[in-house]
Amino acid sequence: MKRVIIIFIAFLFFAFVVEVPIFFTPKKWPKPTYNFLKNPISKEKILLGKILFYDPILSKDNTISCASCHSQYSAFTHIDHALSHGIHDSIGTRNSPALMNLAWQKTFMWDGAINNLDVQALAPISHPSEMGSNINEVIKKINALKKYRQLFKRAFGDSVATGENTLKSISQFLLTIISANAKYDKVMRKEQTFTPQEENGYKLFKKNCSVCHTEPLFTNNEFANNGISLDTKLNDYGKYKISKQSTDSLKFKIPTLRNIEFTFPYMHDGRFKKLSEVLNHYTSSIKASKTLPKELQKPIVLSSNEKVDIIAFLLTLTDKEFIFDKRYSYQNLN
Amino acid sequence: MYHLPNGNTVSIEILKFYISGIELFENSKIIWREKESFHLYSADSSNKTFSLTVPTKFNFDKIKFNLGIDSLTNVSGVMGGDLDPTKGMYWAWQSGYINFKIEGKSNLVSNPKKEFQFHLGGYLQPHYSIQTTTLPITDKSKIDIVFDIVQFLSEIDFSKQNHIMSPSIKALEFSQLAIKCFKVK
Ligand code: HEC
Ligand code: HEC
Repeated sequence: MKRVIIIFIAFLFFAFVVEVPIFFTPKKWPKPTYNFLKNPISKEKILLGKILFYDPILSKDNTISCASCHSQYSAFTHIDHALSHGIHDSIGTRNSPALMNLAWQKTFMWDGAINNLDVQALAPISHPSEMGSNINEVIKKINALKKYRQLFKRAFGDSVATGENTLKSISQFLLTIISANAKYDKVMRKEQTFTPQEENGYKLFKKNCSVCHTEPLFTNNEFANNGISLDTKLNDYGKYKISKQSTDSLKFKIPTLRNIEFTFPYMHDGRFKKLSEVLNHYTSSIKASKTLPKELQKPIVLSSNEKVDIIAFLLTLTDKEFIFDKRYSYQNLN
Repeated sequence: MYHLPNGNTVSIEILKFYISGIELFENSKIIWREKESFHLYSADSSNKTFSLTVPTKFNFDKIKFNLGIDSLTNVSGVMGGDLDPTKGMYWAWQSGYINFKIEGKSNLVSNPKKEFQFHLGGYLQPHYSIQTTTLPITDKSKIDIVFDIVQFLSEIDFSKQNHIMSPSIKALEFSQLAIKCFKVK
């Protein structure tokens, strides 16, 4: 009898120390696009997803976890790597994007290859130069571990991991990665004010950039050709690869600009290291092509002071609480 | 091992496909539709028959079904059962189910290993490749639906085509060929 009680207390303790982030919709944001009816949120599922996100068991040789390429301290991107690095030090063909506010995103990847967050993890797990494994292998390894039997039991009422449940729990953790507490947000909520420089940058941003990088998510969820030239070594035509429609040639996902301070290098291939290079691109090196949108056909004119002002505004999108929020961080359960 | 009329010999290592959306008709009126109707069939040397369960209380004269998975299901996230991505019928690098998968060897294939792989699927136009067939049922007491693999293999030019791994016009054409090969015995 005594022994049973001790185990019970141990469980309580376990549930108590592990804090998980939760999903919420920030004030004045649109409704999320993710279908929560098909995957109802629970703390236990979020926790399981978080543990999977940090577990290198998802890669063939147990060396690479999701967090290897998506680190919290750089807003869940692979900091300082233009092209992401996977198992055996292999180099991918694209820059790993920052992960945040995924519940509002309609399609995933730079070219939109993935149509639902739930099936997103299959791509890195199977990619030969990312995790180099496959979902069956991963599920087998997970089912062999006692730790996961308990976690699955608590999350889904069944200790056996399936592809469906594993992927749904990873989604749940990803959905909780919400950044909505930058200086910009505080100014919008009238808790703080912009400096005159930031204010001017905000005005210029709304004039030149907002069509695509639309508030409050700083993306309109569409794809566009933003005039960067084709890298002839990578030959990446973006969305064209998926749709095979010539009207999609050179179109890439319009990325959010939240936490842009941390997510360098920039663009799908990480070609720019600094925000000043990005602004110089928009004013001086737009490459004309059939799919260049009308917004970028006339050159954007900005003085060097104005560029500095826009950058000052972009830095107000930094959300330090998000970057350092312990609830997103790796926690050792053992 | 199949010896085809055109002198080609083919061995099959994998043959898997989805049947979905099963409906029964009487006098061209729908009388029964299966709920959550997704069935993955996987053939191997010991098992080449599949069974479908339909209610017997109806009088029906036609059966209708799809080969593959519809586009709405394809954009609805991850699913369990026969649709679980561990079943090997989901593309990983790009979203979408593989509707029909056949792999094996043929002496006409030009690569050194003589191997062919056809993974047919695609949920986006113009390469949406799900196919539908309606078959007449005359004797309700014993319904045998067969996939005529010899016909399927005979219509493929293995010397020209041995590899389809993504949604494309070829995947669509092969899907159209595959659906023609479902028949009532
Ligand atoms: C080897 C590095 C690497 C690993 C490991 C990795 N990713 Fe990624 N991730 C990337 C790259 C690169 C992209 C962009 C790929 C593209 O656009 O083609 C990406 C894209 C994504 C996206 C889409 C983001 C968007 O805005 O479209 C999500 C979500 C994501 N990864 C989650 C994960 C999860 C979950 C895991 C673990 C199962 C994981 N990643 C493992 C490099 C990696
Ligand atoms: C026509 C739509 C459009 C307009 C207008 C636009 N952008 Fe972009 N922006 C994009 C697209 C698309 C990308 C991604 C391109 C790629 O990676 O190939 C991008 C990428 C960026 C990036 C890099 C983000 C990252 O995570 O790598 C920054 C920074 C950026 N834009 C800032 C701006 C600023 C500042 C302006 C206004 C001066 C602006 N953009 C105007 C479409 C646009």
